[in-house]
Order: sequence, then structure tokens, then C-alpha cells
Amino acid sequence: MKRNVAIISVGYNGRFVSKRPDINIPELIQPAVANAISKTKLKPEQIDAYVVGNMHTFEGVNQPHLWASDHFGGAGKPVMRIATGGTTGASVFQAAYYHVASGLYDVVMAIGWEKHDEGDAQVGLMGILLPEAFSMFNFGPDMSGERGIAGLGGGGSTGGAAFQAMSYLTKANAGIEHIDRIAALMRSNAAKNPYAHLQQPGCTEADIAKTPIISYPLRYGHTCPTSCGAIALILASEEKAKKFGITDRVAWVKGLGSGSSDAATGNIIEGQITDPAEQYMCKVVAKKVYAMAGIKDPKKEIQVAEVYSGFSHQDLMWPERLGLVDEGKSPEMLDKGAFAIDGELPLNPSGGVTSTNAIGASAMVRVGEAALQVMGLAEGGHQVPRKVENAVAHGWGGLFQFVTVTVLGRTPVKK
Amino acid sequence: MTKEINETKVIESPWDLTTYQWKIESDALSLFVKGLKDKKILGRKCPKCGTVYVPGPTYCRKCFIDIDQIVEVGQEGVLDAFTVNLSDIKGNPLEHPYITCTVKLDGSDSYLLGILEGWTDWKSVKEGMRVKAVFKDLTQGALSDLSHFELIK
Repeated sequence: MKRNVAIISVGYNGRFVSKRPDINIPELIQPAVANAISKTKLKPEQIDAYVVGNMHTFEGVNQPHLWASDHFGGAGKPVMRIATGGTTGASVFQAAYYHVASGLYDVVMAIGWEKHDEGDAQVGLMGILLPEAFSMFNFGPDMSGERGIAGLGGGGSTGGAAFQAMSYLTKANAGIEHIDRIAALMRSNAAKNPYAHLQQPGCTEADIAKTPIISYPLRYGHTCPTSCGAIALILASEEKAKKFGITDRVAWVKGLGSGSSDAATGNIIEGQITDPAEQYMCKVVAKKVYAMAGIKDPKKEIQVAEVYSGFSHQDLMWPERLGLVDEGKSPEMLDKGAFAIDGELPLNPSGGVTSTNAIGASAMVRVGEAALQVMGLAEGGHQVPRKVENAVAHGWGGLFQFVTVTVLGRTPVKK
Repeated sequence: MTKEINETKVIESPWDLTTYQWKIESDALSLFVKGLKDKKILGRKCPKCGTVYVPGPTYCRKCFIDIDQIVEVGQEGVLDAFTVNLSDIKGNPLEHPYITCTVKLDGSDSYLLGILEGWTDWKSVKEGMRVKAVFKDLTQGALSDLSHFELIK
């Protein structure tokens, strides 16, 4: 790190919802930008550069940043767009961090969004999968209906995740009831977050267990919605953070990193060599990031985690892979209430990705929510009651192989 | 007085701009189906790190060197991750659910995808169980030659 960088503001466009037919993509982004700026002493022209991103192809607009740059203030300034699948939002944030940490820019805005109602998430996902599927077709797979190639796929993203879920349950010696329980916790947390999409106050394990199985052990209630929404973060150097931010209400970026492992699902063509629940890169990256942040014991020094879980079993898996919980101990932590907002390790007080998923925004929402927790500004009852010294934000994507980890804190790492 | 506009018009547009031309040959799959025709499961082994890929690509993703060593792996192995399909693709419950699984064959470092048979109660199926590959009687050099994996009793 060349110099210290802080997140000085977090802006949302409003509550995440299924459909926004009343506005277009720039109109979805603009309120988040305005909201982030309004919380600082900055004028829009004092932002030096923009890093933005959403999922490629999902809305059918290939270069939305060209269209939208006028609307977020990017005209006449450097604009960089990044798309790394599920980790997009975190990659955008991390690139914005490098802009400032390198000394090239002092104030940079990071924006992540998705407007799912304009496109088709399944078509977007097929764009990732089709070249591989067509290659398989050339080698005579079984095409006989349910048990053929369609069955092997198991129904898109959920089918792939079901393998990971089963593998995780075996490793942790847990059952589907644990997935039901964590899903219920997330939906009831979401009810305390005014920006969350699926808000179910007091949601119980029984409520989730009533939903149908998609591909065992995953139910409908274990899957994320497709949401429309945008988030904007403002990052600033130490000097500018003091000038433009509210000094005691900033979140310092203490450590960050990303990594990729083997494609851990569906790599039928080249020999898949990684179990989908292994996620060793998450462990490797987390360890490096904690060292960068000066954290010796993450279990003691981190007070809240925002993890990227498109499927509820991952809310159990990630805390273990991030070194916040011993391997296989998440179900036990859940059962003793440790993951509740007022628990020992509050997990996704925001309600997480299974409650709100505007994909290009989601990994940045993890960072933004971690920042709000550090600042003590999380609204609507989802602020962690005890003092948050450090928070960890996690992102996940690709063919079950990309991971990003960021640690934010109240005090910067000394230079 | 202007009428209040509370809904933007939405244009529906199919996106059929071109035909993509994807390369669909695969050295790994060519070798794999060639083996299946003879009821063998073939892969490639990295001469440096020893990783056995099934299907086997022509280079090692760990060492970045070419692999020319073809190996036959075992037809028995260990059940890894799996998922139970309780309904058909339209969501109707299936009388007999089916299990799709990944299997690590003996002598291989890869997970192969397939259908699991040889169980009566799906709730009794556990990761780590021994399985064997079952071929179709008549093989033709296609992925479908590998019929399924069967639990070893």
C-alpha cells in the first residue's frame, strides 16, 4: 500500500426491488451517486475518477458505462468499467482503491448496479456456459430428457450450487435444517434493513422449510432473488478524507485481495480437479488480507462479516473458509445464536445476498454494508450493537472459483 | 394540465445479431470418448506434478507444461458431491428421484459428473461411498457410452 484510503460515503438508489419499469439504467444509477455525494462535503466536480461495473450481457447492454457516464458525472473524467461475474462489485471497489492508494487520484467513486428486469439472468448465465455445452454436444452426451444432459446441469446455477451444498453438509456433518435456519435468519435480518429486497420480519426455519426443493439439498427459500438496484461508494486519500468526509465517520481500507481457483463446478471438458466446497482460495486470500490489515486473530479482532452467498448453505460455508469460524463449526455457531445481529459474530446484518441480489452491485454492497457497520451508520435496526473495530466483506463468483476479501476498520494501518 | 406519466414504455427486443462460431473440438474429450469406446477411462498425467486429469487436457494447468502421457484410471472410485433431483424439469414430483453426482475415480485427480444408481433410499446415500463406472453394452465412442455410476455393495 502506497497510502491510506478511506471509504467516506455509501449511497443507495433506494430499496432494492424486483422491477423498476419506471426508470432506465442511468436513472437507476444516478440517485445512488447523488445519495453518496450528499452525505459528504464534496461537490460532484471534486470526484477525480470513476470505476463502475455490472454483469456483462444480463441487461443486453454491452457497454452501459458509455451510456451512463454522463449521468453519474463521468463525462470529461477517467471512467473504467470492470465485469468479473459475481465479484464485479468488489473488483470495482478494489480497482477504485488502487486508483487512490497508488497516488494517481485523490477522490474516486465506485459504482455497482444491476437492473435485472430489463434482461434475463438465465440468458446471461447461458452466455457463460454455452460454448462449453456445445463442445460437449459434439461428443455425444446422453440427450434423453431428465436423466440426460439437462438433468446433469440440474437447473442452472442452483443445480451447480446443490453439489456444493451437499459437499458442505457432509464436511460439516450438518443437515438441510441448518440451511433452512440460516436462510430464515437472513430474511429476518433483511426486514431490519430498509434497502433490502426480500424482507420477512420474524421469518422462521419452518417458513423456509415450506418452500419446494429445487435440487436437494437446496430449496426455493435458499436461493437469492433477482433485484434492481445501485450502490455508490466514495473513496478518498487520508488528506481528502479529513477534508471532505466526516472524519470520525469513515471506514479505513486496511487490507484487500482477490484470487481464483480451478473452475470448481461443471468443468466437464478439461477435468475438474477441485471440490466445489473446498474453496481453498478463500482461505489463502483471507490469510493474506488479514496479514495486510495487521489482524492476528480474525476470530477475536473482526466484529462483523458481510459474505456473498447466492445460496443459503454458503452463509455457513464462507465464515469457515474466511477463518472466522473453525472448519465445520458454523452449524454449531448458528444454533447457539452467534450469527445474530447481537451475537458473537454478526453475519450479514443486512440480510445478505439471499435477500437482495442485484448482481453487479452485490459484492460492493458487502463492502458498503461493512463500511456502514464500521461507521455506525447502518439504518433501520441492523447496526451491530457493539463497537465494530474491524469488518470483513467477501465476494464470490465465476464458475465457483473467484473470491474477493476486504477488511475495513475504524483506524488505518500505520504507514 | 399535463397527464401524469407514471410508467415508462418498455421496448421488447429479441437479440439476434449474429451467429457465434465457437471452437468445439477438444483434445481432452476426443481422448476420453476414444477410451469409452473400448470401455476404458482415459486421461492425461502431468509428468512434473503427477496430477491426473480426466478428461485430460494436453497441458497442465498447474505447471504450464505439455502433457503427452496418456493414462488409464480405475473404473471404481469414491462418490463426492451429489444432488438429488426430486422433480422433473417442469417441477412435477418424480416417483423415482434421480441422483446426479461427481465421482473421483481411483488414480484420478478429477471429478467426473454422472448419474448414480444402485441405491434404494436416497437418504442413505453418503459422500465417500465406493462406486463403479457402468458402460452401455454397445459403445460407440460417445459421452453417453458411460451409462452411470453404481454404488458398490
